[in-house]
Amino acid sequence: MPLIIKDEYPEKLFREDGKRLDGREKHELRPIKMEVGVLKNADGSAYLEWGNNKIFAAVYGPRDVHPHYLAKPDKGILRVFYRMATFSVFERKRPAPGRREKEISMVLTDCLEPLLFLELYPGNSFEVFINVMNADGGTRCACATVAALALADAGVPMRSLVTAVAVGKIDGELVTDLSGIEDKAGEADLPCAITWFNEEFDGKMDLEEFEKCLTLAKNALTKIHEIQLNVLKNKYIAIQEEYSGGKN
Amino acid sequence: MMNTKRVISTIEKNYILNNLRKEERIDGRGLWEYRDWTIKPDVISSAEGSADVTLGDTKIITGLKYDVGAPFPDLPEEGVCTFMAELLPLASPIFERGPPSEQSIELARVVDRGIRHADCVQTKKLCIKANKAVYILFVDLYVINYSGNLIDAGGISSLTTLISSHIPEGKWVDDQIEWTGKYLTGETIVNELPIVTTYGKINDIIFLDPNLPEELVSDGKISISVTEDKITSIQKSGLATFSLEEIDMLTKKSMEIGKKLRKELNLWQYKVKY
Repeated sequence: MPLIIKDEYPEKLFREDGKRLDGREKHELRPIKMEVGVLKNADGSAYLEWGNNKIFAAVYGPRDVHPHYLAKPDKGILRVFYRMATFSVFERKRPAPGRREKEISMVLTDCLEPLLFLELYPGNSFEVFINVMNADGGTRCACATVAALALADAGVPMRSLVTAVAVGKIDGELVTDLSGIEDKAGEADLPCAITWFNEEFDGKMDLEEFEKCLTLAKNALTKIHEIQLNVLKNKYIAIQEEYSGGKN
Repeated sequence: MMNTKRVISTIEKNYILNNLRKEERIDGRGLWEYRDWTIKPDVISSAEGSADVTLGDTKIITGLKYDVGAPFPDLPEEGVCTFMAELLPLASPIFERGPPSEQSIELARVVDRGIRHADCVQTKKLCIKANKAVYILFVDLYVINYSGNLIDAGGISSLTTLISSHIPEGKWVDDQIEWTGKYLTGETIVNELPIVTTYGKINDIIFLDPNLPEELVSDGKISISVTEDKITSIQKSGLATFSLEEIDMLTKKSMEIGKKLRKELNLWQYKVKY
């Protein structure tokens, strides 16, 4: 393991053989591992390892709204809380939630809310707690992906899953799934969430590049969505096998 | 086993109590047995030391970060090691968002006291230059799933974190820090291994390692930290009272269980090489 004292940016983000610093091709995703039902106390939960990102998500609900004045008489409410552990980043993060965490919580709420049939749950709330234990670029995308999985694990009726990935521009080239260092040292970063679109953007890109990015994102998202679906399917296959096995 | 999340009915309470009277536990353990431990060291790449510890269904992830700062004026040659605990709302429906609760502060402080008074962290080794620069270690405990007995799990998780730690070594050259390229590892920093054991009490029955239903119905708890031959801290919480004889019996028991656990878990195997 290299000794890193200062958070230094490398000069080039591509190696001499044309691959990225972590050995990936331009449009190769980092290894992704998902699990559901990892936390016993929650109504639904999921765990995601995406490269070095390690994220837990838990869903509680439908349950009473607390504080009560937030309750809506005609529909349920969804609240998402995105938090990072103090040791998840290079420099120790302060334990209290910062502005960045609040904004991402809001973005994630907007991203997940259209998926749910909240009108079926008047006066109730769904709470999604997401904790990033280890962060390495693209956490907001990873969080949207894992939160959707946790909601599905909780058995909340959903229109579809949501899947997210970041595409961006580093050293003048378009790439998929930016790592922490590429996000910081690169030129642009475009996190995209698919099914119900909601996007943010920072950096510099022309229109043509922007459109290309969206196509790239869609290709990557199809792959990630597949993993999501398989994880959920496997959960029910396991239950089914357990049930039929017990009968015989 | 009961699927308890928040409250527990009188009938279940009686069931737990009647079983305990027969020296049986609802999960099949004896009165003085721990649930199963699993320990994974160095799981977080961004931390300078970390551990993922589960005790039964209780799961805690702990990480260590460091900073370099000025020492306390009364201890100019000693580094600082602080503990913080967060009971994440995802761990249990009982935990709420917001500023640290009493329970999380208790967890951090009991773990801290057990370790601080045991000659565990060698704070003198964490000094770069007296009066100028010392290491400040932050050991942060995150409760991921709450199923009783956070204190014992937190203690083992903190120890594993400290043992698996790898902090860049600095030298004081010309009034500033120069990094040597080497690491201070757990072997240098940690000396004693204090073990904290928690007992629950219902009526007059005392038992080790209360799980969640037991913790919800128990009158109180007592946590005792011990090193090889000394008691380093005791904390009683809840409404239960303990007689002198009981305290005497429990401290002896803690020594015994501490010795056994230290051998069984063999925490030194989790040191990392750099």
